[in-house]
Amino acid sequence: MSKDKDSKEIQGYRQQPGKLPFSKPGSGGKNSFSKPIDLENIPVSQNGRKDQPWGPHRHDSLISGQVIGRPTALVDSAWKVTGQAQYGDDIRLPNELIGRIVRSPYHYAKILSIDCSDALNLPGVVAVATGIDAKNKFGVLPVTKDEHAMAVDKVRHAGDLIACIAAENENIAREAERLIKIEYEILESIHDIEDGLEDSEYPIHDRGQYHIGNSNIQKRVFQEFGDISSLEKNTVASHRSNWTFAGVNHGFTEPHAVVANWSPDGRLTLYTPQQVPHYVHRSLADVLEIPMHQINVHRTFVGGGFGGKSDPFPHEMCAAILARKSGRPVRITFDREEVFWVNRGRHPSKIEMNLHADSEGRICGIETDALIDGGGFASFGHVTTYYNGVLHTAPYEIGSFHYTGARVWTNKPASGAMRGHGAVNSRCAVEVGLDDLAEKLEVDPITLRLANLLPPHSATITGFRVTSIGMRECLERVKKESGWSEKFRKMPLGKGIGVGCGFFISGSGLPIHWDPNKFPHATVHLKIDMDGGVTIHTGAAEIGQGSDTVVSQSVAEVLGLPLDMIRIRSRESDTSPVDLGSYSSRVTFMNANAAISAAMKIRDELIKAASDITGASLNSLIVGDRRIFDKNDPAIGVSYLEALHKSQEEKGALISSGAYRTPPMGKTHKGAAAGLAPAYSFSAYVAEVSVDIETGKTTVDKVWAAHDCGKALNPLAVKGQIIGSCHMGLGQVLSEEMRYGRSGHLMNPDFLDYKIPSIHEMPEVIPIIVESNDPEGPFGAKEAGEGPLLPILPAVCNAVYDAIGVRTEELPITSEKVFKLVEKKCRLQGISNPLDLKSPRLEFSDLQNTLDKRAQLHSKRDIERRLNSNREEYYNGAIFGLEPTKSPEEIDDNWSVRVIPEENYLLSPRLAGSAWKHIERRNMGD
Amino acid sequence: MPPFELYTPDSIEQALEISGNLSRENKEFDWIAGGTDLLPNYKWHINSKNYVISLSSIDELRKLNNVHIGATVSIYDLANSPTTHPVLAKAANSIASVMIRRSGTVGGNICLDTRCYWLNQSETWRESIDWCHKCDCGTGADCRVIPNQNTLCVATYQADLAPVLMCLGAEIHLLSHKGKRSMKLEDFFELDGIKRNVLFPGEFITHVSIPNDSAEWIGDYQKLRQRDSWDFPEAGVAVLWKTNPDNTIKDLRIATTGLESIPAIHHKEVGEALTSWKGEDSVDDLADSIRKAVKPVQNTWFSPNYRKKMVKVLTKRAFGNLLVE
Repeated sequence: MSKDKDSKEIQGYRQQPGKLPFSKPGSGGKNSFSKPIDLENIPVSQNGRKDQPWGPHRHDSLISGQVIGRPTALVDSAWKVTGQAQYGDDIRLPNELIGRIVRSPYHYAKILSIDCSDALNLPGVVAVATGIDAKNKFGVLPVTKDEHAMAVDKVRHAGDLIACIAAENENIAREAERLIKIEYEILESIHDIEDGLEDSEYPIHDRGQYHIGNSNIQKRVFQEFGDISSLEKNTVASHRSNWTFAGVNHGFTEPHAVVANWSPDGRLTLYTPQQVPHYVHRSLADVLEIPMHQINVHRTFVGGGFGGKSDPFPHEMCAAILARKSGRPVRITFDREEVFWVNRGRHPSKIEMNLHADSEGRICGIETDALIDGGGFASFGHVTTYYNGVLHTAPYEIGSFHYTGARVWTNKPASGAMRGHGAVNSRCAVEVGLDDLAEKLEVDPITLRLANLLPPHSATITGFRVTSIGMRECLERVKKESGWSEKFRKMPLGKGIGVGCGFFISGSGLPIHWDPNKFPHATVHLKIDMDGGVTIHTGAAEIGQGSDTVVSQSVAEVLGLPLDMIRIRSRESDTSPVDLGSYSSRVTFMNANAAISAAMKIRDELIKAASDITGASLNSLIVGDRRIFDKNDPAIGVSYLEALHKSQEEKGALISSGAYRTPPMGKTHKGAAAGLAPAYSFSAYVAEVSVDIETGKTTVDKVWAAHDCGKALNPLAVKGQIIGSCHMGLGQVLSEEMRYGRSGHLMNPDFLDYKIPSIHEMPEVIPIIVESNDPEGPFGAKEAGEGPLLPILPAVCNAVYDAIGVRTEELPITSEKVFKLVEKKCRLQGISNPLDLKSPRLEFSDLQNTLDKRAQLHSKRDIERRLNSNREEYYNGAIFGLEPTKSPEEIDDNWSVRVIPEENYLLSPRLAGSAWKHIERRNMGD
Repeated sequence: MPPFELYTPDSIEQALEISGNLSRENKEFDWIAGGTDLLPNYKWHINSKNYVISLSSIDELRKLNNVHIGATVSIYDLANSPTTHPVLAKAANSIASVMIRRSGTVGGNICLDTRCYWLNQSETWRESIDWCHKCDCGTGADCRVIPNQNTLCVATYQADLAPVLMCLGAEIHLLSHKGKRSMKLEDFFELDGIKRNVLFPGEFITHVSIPNDSAEWIGDYQKLRQRDSWDFPEAGVAVLWKTNPDNTIKDLRIATTGLESIPAIHHKEVGEALTSWKGEDSVDDLADSIRKAVKPVQNTWFSPNYRKKMVKVLTKRAFGNLLVE
């Protein structure tokens, strides 16, 4: 903050006191002085003293020193901490009915008949609905609509919806559940992920002409890029692993809850804690067969989403159907068990990871095969199948990339999107692989990474346009702060340290439901009336991550207003512009950009008004705290309200609209849009662990977590996201798993047995914010909500190796699993007491120097590239000697770009790759 | 939660009168104190009853000193009382979470219902596996852990206090409208996941008494679980010993929990070991014989094999203090 001396000077800017005949509405009471400006936070363009280390940004001139970059309490936090926030189940409408859902006890069965008459006759039961009441399909992705409100022909997993009941109270509804008589024909269910690849008599879904053979393969992907033909010749060290990842659930605090109400004018209002209200809006219109304009989706406070509240859900349809039938509001609240039935958590996966390095310590090949278990429905799975491959094509420059992925249906609750969507498991496999590769090359794993990073403003092997990259700084910071060099392979048995990196999209480049050329990705509306407060209308969904806050902050900053003059209306589709909602870490990047452009329009009007009043030229006027003034002579200026009232003279309230759309980018091959984003976040973590060798129990002691979020618009929220991500990722690596028993049932659909780490398991996390100042991000910002989760998994796995010399290929690493690995190692080494095991040690080879030198050269290269706006293009492949400014496939005949396997490949495919042995039904006749 | 009628007597006499009346009318009921075990089961419709008698308003049951632990003393109070034996306090302090310790009681912990993956689930869930032996809803269902038998329930006893109390030689005191009786705590349990202990309908625990020599017993309680909070013990081992003035071992007791349907005190294994005690080597052998003595089944978080192996590690660790001296 400014010193006292400065504040006295600034007080001289007081507005023509006493000249106005009446007090200014909304003048802020006795605070009619401008706040002292903190010059430290003002860029050079406004006479601030802070040089931006990553170069200037197009939004620099909009910085008014208000809120951007300052730790800011979330704008809705007071509601939450005082207990006044209304979540899904807090919505109580007069005369409500309680809805309950009747669920399948069988994994897979045809429904022969449903008799609801007894239930309907029970006093207190008002309405009952079944699949025949809503025959239209829906689904979050337009290409894979495969869900019904309730089962129409068959149930696909234990817990699948069959019917729903609305009754006067919960007890009656529960009693009525037992009175619904259902006849089933039980079908043979499949539970093992590998069985999904086989032909089946009754595939779980029928995709018509697009069905793949008679199998349960929902989606398959093949991608081959780069110099595959030289791979074998160039490889000097390889890593190979076969991973098994258990499925995990989001574990959010608030179970799903929904309230549906039809108003007398025939409109439906659906109150639901949703991350993506717009897709529910669309699906409701499809399922209920009413136009979208008759529906108001009201997003309540969301008690955590993490991807688990981003699908349109069958129970939301059920509530609407019951409310329509009964003519009364219907509320449905889930038990925790029901949350597990609807799931959409991270896919259980089997991933084969192969990494290859050449004699220069370059990563000449990544070959990945990922088979993922989709459960009973498609959900986001189409995208997940791509993400398991394409999201590990960076941050490293690679010589070749081969990916085969497949997602199969099984008779389990559906998997879907979860924080770090599709990237988490394969990222863990890559980063553990790099650790192993470094061991084989006898080099430091951090140096290996630093010597193979893509530079800023480059293109990945599959054609993603990468702009800002703070990966190098992340690695250097965690290396330094953790004391890596003194600890790595030097600690006693049972103590270990490990590193892991991450790379994630900052907003999905493709709006799933429309052509990005026809509608923008995000739209924000502003309205300001004479009181001076700004009302923001946005459809961005606040789910606890700070969506409302970041949009408010952006507007406040551009208009030079304190945050309490901003009010945000983001709840109802009736009043909000259409928005894609909170997924793929898009809100900060897209909505804040839209908010800035809306605020800039208002700002222009205010500056014009200030110019009219003061006579100062438009170009010399700048916006400070509630004041617009001449930057060359700050005494010349008007208050925000004066300027506002001047510009209101002819038209009353000021309104504006701003929108964001991604620039054209990426390549054109099939699947090129998956993983495409206007920017990417990067992160590097170092974890220090203790492993109890006799019991196998892993304790994570400390984590240094560096994340490149472009620019921390709200450092408090960014740190919260980093620490929260660590906790969530630690759950997956240490103890969380959806465990299926021998009968195929989920054995732990409750929070006692689904083991989320407690405070005792949570290490100290040192969040380190790296700001790479993304050229297109709002004020330079990128995402911080999902990317920070990725590195914790491999960092812990690698630290366990450093501690006891065993590598896991299975998550979670419960103490039992580590114990088994230790037992095995003892057996192999003929040691009876595990305490006699040797701690891993590593002598570096000559290659270490080569890598060090290359890392230093690249570091200089990267700084030049980020500061020079006339930089040349850089395509992945240059590290291998190719011309950096040309796309390699244009200049190198050996450089493959292939998205359908050759026949040769099918002779000995990998596990998921074998999905390509089947012929799509439409091609069978050929 | 299924509705039930709740009685809240404020004296033992009243409680006996209510329980006597209900018994005569053949109305099934449960006792409740902290409710931390009973109510979650009720919510899942596991063997819920229509009548519940609360003991929590009866002051006489809350007496706590170094020889007397009332049945409704909270786990928290037990853990934090200066009169509590340190090993017992350690075990108490490791139970569940602090909120549950504030509510849960000593009597409730001793009578903790046995647990099983196939049982502690919602009604819908259990229906979808056709119920199980312990809560068969009149179907005569088989045990899901050991299929094709419906005679023995193998649900696991996962309470922490019993093994320590057994090693201290605690006696348990029961009362019903038919009178009172007392016994060694180790005789209180009955090997069956359903019956669990000798209590008959209408009988409840008034208190546990600790022998006067408790201060002479030293030792440790070790517990295996995934997380250091909330989780029930997957295995628990209490080891307590007395030493002679020359620091040689005078007496030794070992009890385990979390491994079978009841806790067990291992007199035979300890007796054999004590006849030829050779210090550290004997600890290793004894720990191994305890491992062999327990028979866990696959119905909790960790596998039976791992739990058995950990019993050996935990036993050795509980001996830690003895070996140092």
